[in-house]
Amino acid sequence: MSGERLLNFAIRYGFLILLIGMVLFFSFAANGFASPRSAVFVLQSVAITGILALGVTCTLVVDGFDLSIGAVATSALMLSAYSMVILEQSAFTAIVLCLLMGAFVGLVNGILIVKFRVPDLLATLGMMFLLIGLQRIPTQGNSIATGMSLSADSVAEGVFSPAFLWLGRHRFDLVIERLVPVPVVIFLVIALAIWAFLSLTRHGRLMYAIGSNERAAALVGTPVSRYKIAAYMISGVTASIGGILLAARLGRGDIASGTNLLLDSVAAALIGFAVLGAARPNAFGTVVGALFVGILLQGMTMMNAPYYTQDFVKGAVLVVALVFTFYLSSRRGAGGKV
Amino acid sequence: MAKALEISGLEKSFGRNHVLRGIDLVLRSREVTVLMGANGAGKSTLVKVICGYHSADGGSLELAGEPFHPQDAADAISKGVVTVHQSIDDGVIPDLDVANNLMLDRLAKPGSGLFVRERKMRREARRIAESMGLHLDVTARVADLEVADRQMIAIARAMVGDPKLLILDEPTSSLSATEADRLFSLIDRLRDQGVAILYISHRMSDIRRIADRIVTMRDGAVSGVFEADNLDYEGAVTAMLGHRMTEVDIDPVAVDTPILQLNDIVLRQGAAPIDASFHDGEVVAITGLLGSGKTRLAEILFGLAEPLAGRLRLDGKPYAPRSAREAVSSGVFMSPKDRAANAVIGAFDIADNMTLPFLEAFSRLSFVKTRAQRNAADGMIDRIGVVCQSAEDGIGTLSGGNQQKAMIARWLLKPCRALLLDEPFQGVDIGARRDIGRHIRQTAKGRTTIVFVAEIDEALEIADRIVILNEGAVAGEHINRDIDLTRMVAEVSGQQDAA
Amino acid sequence: MLRRELMKLACATGLAFGTGGLALAQDAPAPFDNPQDVTIALVRYLSTGDFFQAYLSGVEEQAKALGVELRVLDSRQDAALQADMVDQAIALGVDGIIIQHGLTESMKAAAQRAVDADIDVVAFDVDVENDSIPQIEQSDYLLGKLALEQAIKDNGDSFTAGYVYVPGIAPLDRRDVAWEEVKKANPGITEAATFGTLDNPIANSVANQARSVMQANPNINVVFAPYDEFAKGVKIAVDEAGLNQDIDIYSADVSTADISAMREPDSAWVATVATNPAVVGRVSVRALALLMAGENVGEQVVVPPTLITQDFLNENDIKNMDDLSAKMPQFANADVATAEWIPVPGK
Repeated sequence: MSGERLLNFAIRYGFLILLIGMVLFFSFAANGFASPRSAVFVLQSVAITGILALGVTCTLVVDGFDLSIGAVATSALMLSAYSMVILEQSAFTAIVLCLLMGAFVGLVNGILIVKFRVPDLLATLGMMFLLIGLQRIPTQGNSIATGMSLSADSVAEGVFSPAFLWLGRHRFDLVIERLVPVPVVIFLVIALAIWAFLSLTRHGRLMYAIGSNERAAALVGTPVSRYKIAAYMISGVTASIGGILLAARLGRGDIASGTNLLLDSVAAALIGFAVLGAARPNAFGTVVGALFVGILLQGMTMMNAPYYTQDFVKGAVLVVALVFTFYLSSRRGAGGKV
Repeated sequence: MAKALEISGLEKSFGRNHVLRGIDLVLRSREVTVLMGANGAGKSTLVKVICGYHSADGGSLELAGEPFHPQDAADAISKGVVTVHQSIDDGVIPDLDVANNLMLDRLAKPGSGLFVRERKMRREARRIAESMGLHLDVTARVADLEVADRQMIAIARAMVGDPKLLILDEPTSSLSATEADRLFSLIDRLRDQGVAILYISHRMSDIRRIADRIVTMRDGAVSGVFEADNLDYEGAVTAMLGHRMTEVDIDPVAVDTPILQLNDIVLRQGAAPIDASFHDGEVVAITGLLGSGKTRLAEILFGLAEPLAGRLRLDGKPYAPRSAREAVSSGVFMSPKDRAANAVIGAFDIADNMTLPFLEAFSRLSFVKTRAQRNAADGMIDRIGVVCQSAEDGIGTLSGGNQQKAMIARWLLKPCRALLLDEPFQGVDIGARRDIGRHIRQTAKGRTTIVFVAEIDEALEIADRIVILNEGAVAGEHINRDIDLTRMVAEVSGQQDAA
Repeated sequence: MLRRELMKLACATGLAFGTGGLALAQDAPAPFDNPQDVTIALVRYLSTGDFFQAYLSGVEEQAKALGVELRVLDSRQDAALQADMVDQAIALGVDGIIIQHGLTESMKAAAQRAVDADIDVVAFDVDVENDSIPQIEQSDYLLGKLALEQAIKDNGDSFTAGYVYVPGIAPLDRRDVAWEEVKKANPGITEAATFGTLDNPIANSVANQARSVMQANPNINVVFAPYDEFAKGVKIAVDEAGLNQDIDIYSADVSTADISAMREPDSAWVATVATNPAVVGRVSVRALALLMAGENVGEQVVVPPTLITQDFLNENDIKNMDDLSAKMPQFANADVATAEWIPVPGK
């Protein structure tokens, strides 16, 4: 009996204990790791991938997958730059355009999957390539920055408006002056919202039901198609928020495929399965998963570990998390409170 | 005739559930033995022991005089016991051509050459097909063939290794009458080649056509053996159903207000239209064989399919649901068959599973009111008797019967106009079956209840009235009081004229 | 957008007409006496990013100025495909090939096949180990060297440095040679931390790392980031940490976006060293043209880099690459691989 209780304890708290252990280790081993600023750095470095990961969590909940989030984020990055620098629009217009773009991409993804029966991985993979190409067309593959030549005798006059850059660069005072950056606040707000949506509302509950047994959910009268499309739209919108914050931080429209954003955020969401032994996608787990990777990378960078060891460690964490999720949890038997 | 397989004193238990209680049975070469048995009688467990999926707890098996203890399915096949399962596509690889399918086992055998020699393989495949009287293009893709051809190929594949015993599990369940005829001539041919055949089916027409011998099972034991010169079909049915079916006393209710009405509903091309009324407080069982149209009817009533013709009325008003959602909002609820695929949310606990259809009623501003949800679930658990620790247990921790109770309880949480229960007793032990039946009857007032069951004894146990479907049309209707069983069985199997 | 396209088209036709007249007057050697019959191919390995975009435009401009037809074959970082594309170009019957980046291993044999087919070949930034193929180089070593010399000029020969480096990337490896050399020559320079990543968006990932590095090593006062994406990332981290008065960033490469980043008030990014990628593109075409005309261009054609400081940008109010080219002639044009009969675009 005690063996089983130990197993249950390990499944439930193993990952959190590992997280705390890691924080303690780096606090002793890495100079300057244990400080409020350092903590905020970690949050800031995971804010954008974390936001994307929360979106992908929603698609994972309905047993889907969204490979296009990285490309949506970089498309939002380009779109915001394009609308401010070249079209000389306001920050507000740029943000609204990006959010609409994210929602639209999510809608198309959802329709491809639900109505045209394209498997989710393929539909969103196609969308990913489409967006990577599309974001390069308006500028012929160039990055967008103020002063870039538009034609022989005119240059882009628009600038990233201060209000827009505020989103990426402003820091709120919290005990220490200029401590908490805006992206961190937005990340935490979105995390709270997605968590509440998925685990407290009936909509979230129905999405979990769809993910667990789509037919059964349909047979109790759930509008399955609508919920699935909604999940992809949430994913698209959160990805575009991530892209907006990225643009505000970089202050320019960088062309990038966003593949690393995609991989990091998917990793965070999958690691999240293991947190508290949930064995299913969940917002809290995703946030912990993102923090886990963030803390690990921060600590290793501070200890001067070369970049390739970081990918290795990320992979190792993911594998351990997946073992937690699929092996240990299956031994315990499934089911329980969401 | 030579004994192909001799089974003596076979025992098998799953936990406390004693499924096979000492089976003695001999299967002979050149003979088709039909095995009949109600759900839960143990026939699928028996088959699984013979073909190596389960190991026996007691008793012995002898194949052609040698002790036979298959380690697994592959071992059983290599020793000459081959099974063709109900689901055809388990037996073929749809994307490969006929030749590849027929030669698949040889390809999979270790030690066969690295390269596939297409021409030699086709020649070999053609030879096998010819030897079974199959005349088809061996280069055709199996997915493009008709159902019957696919079924024949599955059987032909099984025959490649010259088996001693061939087990066919409801092979005609997805075949039309003419397609089934072709299958029967193949079976005749195999019998003549000296194979022992164990044929599992409920279709009386199949049984009359091919049975040399009928063995019936009931409650884990052989309840009757009917030999060649004395094939007593009715006797077999009675032996299969047993006489315990009248244990539940039903006092049919008097009907008054109709709730759900069917006007000239046509289920399939060429079938007679169906007219029926289902009344307040009444429990009606609709029964029939696989393919009789009862699943179709359930789907139509629940908005999952459309009738070819005809109209439905609910409380006198036209009712034409286009989705489950519309049906539910009109007050027509359905507990679907095959709960694992269609009803259970494996990731949820009991309370979430039970309240799933009515989450809206259990939430305020979209936020789920956990306490209200738990109270409702706890109440239901008490009333219908779900055996569990608490409403927060994962649904997967429950036994099949208790899961089924929870699935039905789900639809009893809120009042409805019509409650449809499709195979509510599937995979449910007798105790749970009685609990569910009692509760359905107790709460029947205020709605009409329609139960779709394949087994006659289940219908007799729960219904005030039994409607029998055959080939998409009504074959008979009985008030559940002193029913003429023989006639009913005949109607079910489409033999009412003969009876 | 349309307007831009039209303008481009107008320029292009203008150029073509203008240079057509010029070429006649100058009596170009064969085969450029009939340039319309000459086809050259650009076989690319890398194509994504400002640098490669600008390089391509340089190649296009110079090809138009010569009046030859240009085929662009883009393998998008597929080494095997790039080799196949050389064969494709051979099959098309092109007269000259520019191999732009790639892997020695995959390109060596393909380049030899082109040479065997009597096609003139030049290679930019990839060593195909072939004596008859001149190498066009933008001297990454010099890029690093000039930037570091400026760093020493500004900060003296002893400072604590952070270094951004990802090994295994050829140009970065060559820039690294300069760094190692300078470190050895100046014992006063301490390397407090090395970091770097190519996870894209690179600037964002590097910013995250740089933040951690600066937190762990508050004494860093110089960051050598010999790639503009790295420099951008470091600058973001420096701004976020409010250290822009305390840290100087030295980098390599330049773009319009880089110019605006360097010119931000109190920008920590004080200098960069760059060759104009468009110029490198033009030099590639010119070197190929000379080779085709039977002239000897030597084994290596090096395009010298230019030091660009923040002060220079501010003093001349330079906003973009065009301004930079206008105000800094050595950046706008390299006096490399030129001939009387080869028209220079834009002149």
